[in-house]
Amino acid sequence: MPGSAVALDNLSFRYKGEDRGSLAIAELRIETGEKVALIGASGAGKSTLLRLLDGRLRGFRGQASVLGRTLDPARSLPRAWRCDTGFVFQEFALVEQETVRQNVLNGRLGRTRPWQSLLGRFGEADHDAVERAMGDVGIAELAEKRVDRLSGGQRQRVAIARCLAQDPALLLADEPISNLDPVTAEAILALLHDCAARRGATLLVSSHQPRLIAPFVDRFIALDHGHEVFDGPPEALRDDTLAGIYEEAGPIPEPV
Amino acid sequence: MSARDSLAIPPTRTAAPRRHRGERSRSYAPFLLSLALAALIVWSWSGSDIELDKLASSGGRIAEFLGRMLPPDFSVLPVVIESSAETLRIAVLGTLGCVLLSIVFGLLAAETLTPRWLHLPVQWCLATIRGIPLILVAMLMVGAVGLGPLPGILAIAFHATGMLAKFYAETIDGIDRAPMEALDSAGATFLQKLRFGAWPQMAPDIVRDTLFRFEMNLRESLILGIVGAGGIGFYIQVYVRTFQYEKVATLTLVVVAFVILIELANSLIRRMLR
Repeated sequence: MPGSAVALDNLSFRYKGEDRGSLAIAELRIETGEKVALIGASGAGKSTLLRLLDGRLRGFRGQASVLGRTLDPARSLPRAWRCDTGFVFQEFALVEQETVRQNVLNGRLGRTRPWQSLLGRFGEADHDAVERAMGDVGIAELAEKRVDRLSGGQRQRVAIARCLAQDPALLLADEPISNLDPVTAEAILALLHDCAARRGATLLVSSHQPRLIAPFVDRFIALDHGHEVFDGPPEALRDDTLAGIYEEAGPIPEPV
Repeated sequence: MSARDSLAIPPTRTAAPRRHRGERSRSYAPFLLSLALAALIVWSWSGSDIELDKLASSGGRIAEFLGRMLPPDFSVLPVVIESSAETLRIAVLGTLGCVLLSIVFGLLAAETLTPRWLHLPVQWCLATIRGIPLILVAMLMVGAVGLGPLPGILAIAFHATGMLAKFYAETIDGIDRAPMEALDSAGATFLQKLRFGAWPQMAPDIVRDTLFRFEMNLRESLILGIVGAGGIGFYIQVYVRTFQYEKVATLTLVVVAFVILIELANSLIRRMLR
């Protein structure tokens, strides 16, 4: 399956003693360079799927391959593979006490020699990647500021810059906009889209705001109780489809 | 951080349900507590044989007593300064010892790192250590290793670990795991996660608590010499017992200056780190 950034076959997973977040996907392909939105009610398995693709899920069944490499359900990913998948977290997951620059530099840890980085030594390539990532997300002037002095939108930009500094071929974002106001959220989505496009990376974003996210993706995948219930372009996603997806979770979350 | 407030109190988790007990006991509680407090004060007073008129009539004696401290006898200055320096050395090495012990026991007492069967007993041990007065530890150490600064250093190291290891454990438990997971996802090794994810979160608290403990160690080690465990305490005892109050005056001045100096240095360091 050359060209597929993500390939899943007969994949299933269940958390111990819990139905929430389980996965049961017969087949799923995401091609290199695609921009995909992942939607579904809370507990539908969106985060589980993203964790799986980031190589942080143990004990799944079936075939899963990411960037052409087969994942091992019993083992964590080798270090060299982990940096090729970038992850943007809902709660930013930054080291609050450090500067913006250091946080972005942390994205390079997988690509440096461990002992040199422990001594605080980073190479030319690392510093270049950090400058480029900070420039791309528009936080170059915040470089020396401490993260705990920043707003939510600025923090998510730092988190995205850290992710970009990794030079990832696959960008995963787990509800990156759910803690942000609508205007900031839109800017962050545009940023994710543009950065992925510029680098030829594949993008997979989960969100509860399908209408907000639609202009920035070419494809929607919807999950319900771990099953894939919709797969198609944004235009095909109609109100009744959405209502069906979110049926159990109540009304459609946000009419923007 | 509530590390200091909760020093002798079990975690709030156990305290919370108590607040939600029946209405009746809650309304009586303040009254009963006040009654108990009053009884405690009356008991303390009546048992202590205090005669207020005696205190009133002794004003002259106190003045005469203080008068004997003047003028301070500065001839003992070199001895006093040298023994203060020994006290400082005891405090520094004692702090070093308790930091090393606290790293080990702090890791063992951290609830997020070790299983219950391990961190609970370690926490009890630390509470017990906190319960043993320093002077008692020092006397035992003098008995074990003889007179001089060594038993003082050992006593401080042992005694201070009870508190510092608890602080370290609470700092470790307070680490936000999310950045660690993010670094893991970026391909960081275990040591890189500690260095770039955990340490920046811990460092301010660790430094603050260690400086605080050093200050306490210094003040507590002033009295170690009384039981023969080195430092200026030895001269405090000798001069007071032999009624050489002019020398006691010099000694008091030096100790006060010394403690103030160290506290100033400490707050300077704290400000620099902020």
